[in-house]
Amino acid sequence: MSFITLILLAGAGTFLMRFVPLVTGSGLSQRPSRLTLMLSALGLTAITALIVLSLYGLWQPQQPVGSTLRLVAGSVSVLVALRISGHVGVATLVGAVVYGLTGLTVG
Amino acid sequence: MSEDSSSSLSHFMAGLRASASLAIGYVPMAFSFGVVALQANLAPWQAMAISIIVFAGAAQFVLVSLLAAGTGGLTALTAVLLLNVRHVFYGPALAAQLTRKPGRWSPLLAFGLTDEAFATAMSEATRRKLPPVWCVGVGLGAYGSWVAGTALGVMLGAGLGGGDGVVGQALSFVLPALFIALLGQAFQRALWPVIGVSAMLTGLSLLWLPGHVAMIIGMISGALIRPWVGVNREARS
Repeated sequence: MSFITLILLAGAGTFLMRFVPLVTGSGLSQRPSRLTLMLSALGLTAITALIVLSLYGLWQPQQPVGSTLRLVAGSVSVLVALRISGHVGVATLVGAVVYGLTGLTVG
Repeated sequence: MSEDSSSSLSHFMAGLRASASLAIGYVPMAFSFGVVALQANLAPWQAMAISIIVFAGAAQFVLVSLLAAGTGGLTALTAVLLLNVRHVFYGPALAAQLTRKPGRWSPLLAFGLTDEAFATAMSEATRRKLPPVWCVGVGLGAYGSWVAGTALGVMLGAGLGGGDGVVGQALSFVLPALFIALLGQAFQRALWPVIGVSAMLTGLSLLWLPGHVAMIIGMISGALIRPWVGVNREARS
């Protein structure tokens, strides 16, 4: 399989996995039900799962305490910055800077 | 310009503005992708082609690492599609939060429906129903920042890609920070059991299963208990 064929198939497959359920599931918005409640919660649960997944990827088993402290410091600073600024972008930047800087002292 | 198209334009521009916070997370990640792709011996045009055509963050990193390891095309394609299978849940969930059916906007909306664009839209949906063209604005803003970030990585990355410096470490926390901020914005006290179950089962699944499978388990298990959470409070209100 050539590179271009691979990329085109990967792009088409990814697009169809987003497009087909969007079109076929559009009618759900008109039918409030238990299923609609579950679907509406998928946003929150997806964000939650992505947080766990991404933090797990940064945790270093060879430095359990140090890496945990850094992750906690970064995460708390995001929430504090969000509380103060009310802006997702600012909170994201503050968290990244705090995480980067704590690497100099903690781990 | 008709009233309808003028309103669509303003919703689209609002979506583009909303994608700015998402771009803060995307540009560093796409930059890293550009660097990693070059390190995997892909040509700059190949790195750009992957970002322009596939547009699927984590799956792109997996694709490049499989190609670098000499894996066959069919295996790499299967891995990418398996990794992206979680996206089948996003369309119906987003459709339930739209002001109307997406209609002619469906292809563009679907193309931009990445993890981060979905999270941004669902965070906003906790406050109001979303015009489909607003979501298109978010998706296209995200796409633009992803492609631009990859281009920067391809052009400048060779000299800046070191991952152990303060900058490299800060960049590695950008995406978790973005997700935490989005959750902080969308958090509703009544829904903490949904969030707790999702977090716990994702974490437990990660001990035995690959990340993309753990994510699906966490997402679905949290959503499954939603109809039984906060019911009394809603009934009272």
